[in-house]
Amino acid sequence: MIKFHPSEQHLVHYMLGELSPAMLMMVGSHIDLCPHCQHHLRDVEEQFAMKIFGQRQMPLPDLDEETMLNAIFQSTSAPVVPILEMRDYLNLEGKRFKLPATLARNGERIGPWSRMLGKMWRAPIEIGSGETLNFIYMEQGAQVPEHTHRGSEATLVVNGVFNDEVDEYRDGDFVLLDGHHKHTPQTHHHDCLTLATIDAPMQFTSGLSRLLNPFSSLFLK
Amino acid sequence: MRSVSDAIIERTSMPPMQADNPEHAAELLARIASEKSRAAFAELFRHFAPRLQAYATRQFGNEQTAMDLVQETMANVWHKAHLFKADRGSAATWIFTIARNIRFDFLRKNKHRQHDLSADDLWPILAEENESLDDDYALDNDLLMQQLAVYTESLPKAQRIVIQLIYIEGKSQQEVADALDIPLGTVKSRTRLALQKLKELIQHHD
Ligand SMILES: [Zn+2]
Repeated sequence: MIKFHPSEQHLVHYMLGELSPAMLMMVGSHIDLCPHCQHHLRDVEEQFAMKIFGQRQMPLPDLDEETMLNAIFQSTSAPVVPILEMRDYLNLEGKRFKLPATLARNGERIGPWSRMLGKMWRAPIEIGSGETLNFIYMEQGAQVPEHTHRGSEATLVVNGVFNDEVDEYRDGDFVLLDGHHKHTPQTHHHDCLTLATIDAPMQFTSGLSRLLNPFSSLFLK
Repeated sequence: MRSVSDAIIERTSMPPMQADNPEHAAELLARIASEKSRAAFAELFRHFAPRLQAYATRQFGNEQTAMDLVQETMANVWHKAHLFKADRGSAATWIFTIARNIRFDFLRKNKHRQHDLSADDLWPILAEENESLDDDYALDNDLLMQQLAVYTESLPKAQRIVIQLIYIEGKSQQEVADALDIPLGTVKSRTRLALQKLKELIQHHD
């Protein structure tokens, strides 16, 4: 059962295409996993369509209906959008993860895995927007040093379980943290595959891990 | 002597089979898909194009761009009507999402927003699908057959007949179209609407 969902604002902005590309991927992937948000999205789309098309509207003077109709009738078929190459599964360390449809459609954007500190792995997703969007894989018993963010961090659990000081996050949970939150994500008995985007480098806040700060851009951003 | 306002009243009180009636709009799309009906498209166009243009003009603040969006959206409606699935939402919503995709790709070409994600990567509404009947009609055959028979009685007559011919008499959709002398697209859209309704009834009673 998914506990954490994107806000209504996120859904509306997703529906209009008015989020950053990384957030469009994140929210879209959550919706793929979440029947509740799928339903909600359809409602929001329906309402928006009503808003645009439900009104009385006199024909606008500069819309020449006949000309446009004829142009459309004479147009050759719009280019066929091929069935997209789906990459349904992601493999790492002998494990196989089923990808949400949004990610499966964009499988060719997924870069190679590399090992980060400790028991964590990362694979970038290239969306050409200058944003950082990564798969982060945490083995069992992994821990990210406590940190805050100057910007915000969004995390989607694709598969598995992780915890921080506040809660436990499972398949499909979508968590958004801003600079006010400190947290220490960790796994215990499960491993965890997440999709994560941060819009500014992390600030490590405790003990020795503060030494990581100069390198945090290597770490996650 | 008829006044102008009489004429308007007369017009607005005509039978309400207009494109803002969702079932009728879905039927128009089905006619475009099955028989490339220009009359059906023109009727949809007269309803949707001016509203889309008003929306796009507010969005872009540029009339030429707005007009391009209207033309490209409606051209997709004309060529891709077969991709409309009545059980997934209304015609208005489908047309809106096509416009959304086109707007997204228009804005993407603006250099301030450059990135690699296309609308099709995010919302593949215009991607051709494998036309898999089994997928579309994924009601388990052995699922609640008896209740289904009861629920079927509550469907509108046109949908009920189609469902009975297909699921009880075992006719193909083409045979139903021939038997009732209606376009294949209409059979498909009625089937989808009916199955959607049946699913709702079943879920509602669970
Ligand atoms: Zn959700």
